[in-house]
Amino acid sequence: MLKTRKFEAVFVALFLLVAGMSLSAQTNYKIGYLPSTIGQALTKAWGVGIDNALKAAGNPPAIALDAMMKAETQVSMMDDLINQGCNLIILQPIDAAALTASVKKAESKGIPVITLNTDTLAPHFACVTMDDFGAGAMIADAVGKQLGGKGNVAIIQSPPGALAGVNREKGFRATLAKDYPNVKIVGAQNAEWDKNKAIAVMNGFLQANKQLDAVFAVNDNMAEGAAIAAESAGRHVLIYGFNGQMSTLAQIEQGKVTGTAYTNAYDQGATAAKLALQVLKAGTKTFTKTDVVIVPPFLATKDNVGSIPASSRW
Amino acid sequence: MLIASRRRLILIGLLLAIGAALSLLSRSFLTLDNLMTLLQEASQTGIVAIGFTLVLITAGIDMSIGAVIAVTAMVCANFLTYTHIPAALFIPMSLGVGLLVGAFNGFFITRFKLPEFIVTLASRGILAGLALIIAVKDSMGFVSNVYIQDPVYLSFGGTIGPVYIITIVFFAMAFLTQSFLKRTRAGTNVYATGANPTAARLSGINTKRSIYGVYMFSGFCASIAAIFISSRMMTAMPDFGIGSEMDVIASVVIGGTPFTGGVGDIWGTVLGTLFLALIKNGILKLGISPYVQPIAIGGIIVVVVILDVWYKSYAEGQARRSARRARESDSRSAAA
Repeated sequence: MLKTRKFEAVFVALFLLVAGMSLSAQTNYKIGYLPSTIGQALTKAWGVGIDNALKAAGNPPAIALDAMMKAETQVSMMDDLINQGCNLIILQPIDAAALTASVKKAESKGIPVITLNTDTLAPHFACVTMDDFGAGAMIADAVGKQLGGKGNVAIIQSPPGALAGVNREKGFRATLAKDYPNVKIVGAQNAEWDKNKAIAVMNGFLQANKQLDAVFAVNDNMAEGAAIAAESAGRHVLIYGFNGQMSTLAQIEQGKVTGTAYTNAYDQGATAAKLALQVLKAGTKTFTKTDVVIVPPFLATKDNVGSIPASSRW
Repeated sequence: MLIASRRRLILIGLLLAIGAALSLLSRSFLTLDNLMTLLQEASQTGIVAIGFTLVLITAGIDMSIGAVIAVTAMVCANFLTYTHIPAALFIPMSLGVGLLVGAFNGFFITRFKLPEFIVTLASRGILAGLALIIAVKDSMGFVSNVYIQDPVYLSFGGTIGPVYIITIVFFAMAFLTQSFLKRTRAGTNVYATGANPTAARLSGINTKRSIYGVYMFSGFCASIAAIFISSRMMTAMPDFGIGSEMDVIASVVIGGTPFTGGVGDIWGTVLGTLFLALIKNGILKLGISPYVQPIAIGGIIVVVVILDVWYKSYAEGQARRSARRARESDSRSAAA
């Protein structure tokens, strides 16, 4: 009796497994994922979001390549993904102008492209982006209010030509100029997205300015670097970052970093992957206008950072 | 001579073997599109590597090539944005960037006897900064990369039949440079300058002229590459080429031109660039983690160079032994 029941159980389990597999193995699209580099928290989190969403739909994970922050490398990797016969490419362009030719080439071969965070100059299927300019403005607003409309601020910049960083900075500068004319920008230096370089840049700001009230670093890595420099110099400076990676959220809780423009990068990746599967199922190949999907940023500070659950931290 | 050509055959054999393995492992490797892209990539490094080979033959090194690419591209971007000079006119002018930088390097190396590495590293830094300074900026002062639409300029990124124009130019330049090295007196002087500069000078060779010549040619080649890279990408960025020095150096050394100077040739460099491009292209298709890819590329290069060095010393030892045996049997037969 017991034996037959066990047998039945195994049989049912097997049946469910097979049924489950046949149900889940609905799609088998080859999707390429080509971020500027895979070594950063943000691009890793996108990758996880993309792969999870693809797996949930029964699609194999994306083919991820590392362009190592070089536009030339990214262009040749785009060619490679095209030659590999990808059905769709999810791309974070290192530069808008430099990747435009590649995006055009892919779409002319019937491969839709979804860009992340940086749009290109040619219309393509979709762009899932944080609102860099708007979020920069949001941070400028926070800084301006906290300083009571008066003070000295510095900017830790991204490399020249890196559009995402440049737009954040533009949003920040434009809002300060418009709404807080008495907040002065006393310095702006490039720290190449890098925490270590940001320490040196911040040290320079601290030495050059007796009074420095706030710093806006255009990504979290650099904000963390600035926090280290400010702490070791024993100076109190408001420090704002951008992206909202896990380590920075923890530093906001500890009061080392003041705030950041948080985006749920898992969700952003998943959104891109879902769009990808939609368009592939629909079979659309030509796009006259880029479908821009904006992921709204959220100003995370000590007061509200606790509301970001662990599952949404990356 | 025989040893050199056997070494060459080994490299060709490895190239074919890896190519065959990749064709079996990946369905997308052995396709016309992919092979043409592979050749395009190889040519991009290869054109610069041709000039670099000559520098290496004189026992020098040129670290400024990447930054020459950046400045040449920025000069073109400026012409395109701010002037109406047709591309057919300003492209030859922008090639002057490489020649100028080469002359600058040559001057400091020959006049002040400074180490080649230091001089060219310094010019690399200066040029990298210069590229940012002359980069086209928007109204807020941020670098904004131009989107090139000039049809003449873009034609450099095009194809003739299925073959990219850059590939044709690469092989033509390789052929001409090889002929120069092997068939002209100036070419022989380049070898002599690298093999033993003192002996070369004492035998009446103008080594300074050779040194000026190779650095100017190296810069010129880098400038040519800049035109092709920017027309392929339809833009020019101030960091173009910076960092690509390593690929160039690796290609030339895989091709059998050592750092010690005096030997080497262009066909070796052609094979070396094809080899590097093959590995870099193939590795992307194997579905291995991007973290592992650079390790695999580095590992394969080391194995190839070890094989090459090992074979060279083995073959030379073999040649010495057989020469000794020949001498011994000669003296024995003389005694008899």
